[in-house]
Amino acid sequence: MSFEIDRYAHLPSTIQRWDPRFKIAALGILIFLIALLQSLPLSFASLVIALLTFTLSGLPYRLAATGLKWLIYFLLPFFILLPMSFPTHAPLSVLGVTLAPEGLRLALLISVKAVAVVLLCYATFGSARFHHSMYALQKLRCPAFLIHMLLFTYRYIFVLIEEMRRMYKAMLSRGFQPRMNRHTLHILGYFVGNLLLRSIERTERIYKAMLSKGFDGEFHTLVTFQSKPVDWQKTLIFTALALLLWYGDHFGPFPRAIEAWY
Amino acid sequence: MHISDGILSTPVIVAGFTGTALVLAATARNLDNAEIPKLAVISATFFVADLIHVPMGLTSVHLILNGLAGVILGWRAFPALVPAIVLQALLFQHGGVTAIGVNSLMLGGGALGAYLVWECRHWFSINNRAYLFGALAGATGTFVSGIIFATAMLLTGKEFWLMAMQVLAAHIIIMVLEAMVVGSCAGFLERAKPEVLAGYRAPVPAEKLRASA
Repeated sequence: MSFEIDRYAHLPSTIQRWDPRFKIAALGILIFLIALLQSLPLSFASLVIALLTFTLSGLPYRLAATGLKWLIYFLLPFFILLPMSFPTHAPLSVLGVTLAPEGLRLALLISVKAVAVVLLCYATFGSARFHHSMYALQKLRCPAFLIHMLLFTYRYIFVLIEEMRRMYKAMLSRGFQPRMNRHTLHILGYFVGNLLLRSIERTERIYKAMLSKGFDGEFHTLVTFQSKPVDWQKTLIFTALALLLWYGDHFGPFPRAIEAWY
Repeated sequence: MHISDGILSTPVIVAGFTGTALVLAATARNLDNAEIPKLAVISATFFVADLIHVPMGLTSVHLILNGLAGVILGWRAFPALVPAIVLQALLFQHGGVTAIGVNSLMLGGGALGAYLVWECRHWFSINNRAYLFGALAGATGTFVSGIIFATAMLLTGKEFWLMAMQVLAAHIIIMVLEAMVVGSCAGFLERAKPEVLAGYRAPVPAEKLRASA
């Protein structure tokens, strides 16, 4: 599984040309307001918007495919548990089990919103290099400590995965077979401990190397952001869409999902 | 058990972000730049821990290891886990972007609870103290996370009670697994390099003790 969310960031598109600061701010507002929607018709509308944005970003669908697959696995239990546990006035009876249509509607609402948000996330962070996105976050006044941690953590994830693969291969070559017993768990504990020890010592060496090369706590980057009028126009469009959705949800004629279908 | 987008209600989301900001401000005070690489390594380990599968009958579960973060970093476990949760949400949709606040409180709170349990080991002096308290800390981490998860779901709506019960029941098995893994990891680190663990007290040489007596 590859975690490099920006491996297709070189593909040109209108979203990719959007200044990352504006992109993250505008799509962030859209994501937040979509997550709060309560009516089914508007949540389907937000899914359409998310699909359009993802297509506009020029990213291939296989980028989002794995993430969406795991998301669906996570959301399936909602379709089973919510209809069973929701207090209802008009129960359906399917194969002898009483189900609540409110619970089914709520599960559908949650799933549609989750898929829309995930597609927008991929469109936002998959269309720019990761450190450009982080620099944009810094320009949006995100705390510097968080940006530094995100950059370092992102870097170490790949180092750790490599390290883990090598150590696991070594374990297997010495006859380790993962089974469901105490021995396996003990060995996994030692595995994690070893991994941590090597990583911590390596990171201390890396930090001393950075200091010796003149690191002073500030990341300097060659990226400069320049806003163009078209960036403002795109921001306006997406923010207007977000506010329309929110307004339609709060003051519009659409009922909440737990009350009715539309 | 990361919560994804679209489930929680607005008050719970806002409370999650506010709580995370407050706890972050409290635990990341005077954070030295030199600590950031070590925090980032633990953060990356927590991220990657989702990929460690423990075989479980026909299927496999994955470890959470937030108890281990608490055992190694102490209070700084919270500022270490927040970026990991952000990256999990962004990179492979484990948990939602709007739920980052609540997920941070859930997993970071578990790490802090684990640290509190871990620190109690100083009251005892028994063999295998690190293994025993590591195991308790690992179980506490998962337990506290489960409680906060259930609280967040039930505050959103009473209709989620069955979901919350099911997740809590699953957490009992994970508690046992986590206890054993974190316990043996803590025991290993205590023997290999005890300074890495939180709350390390260097043993005082006997000559100094005699001199002060």
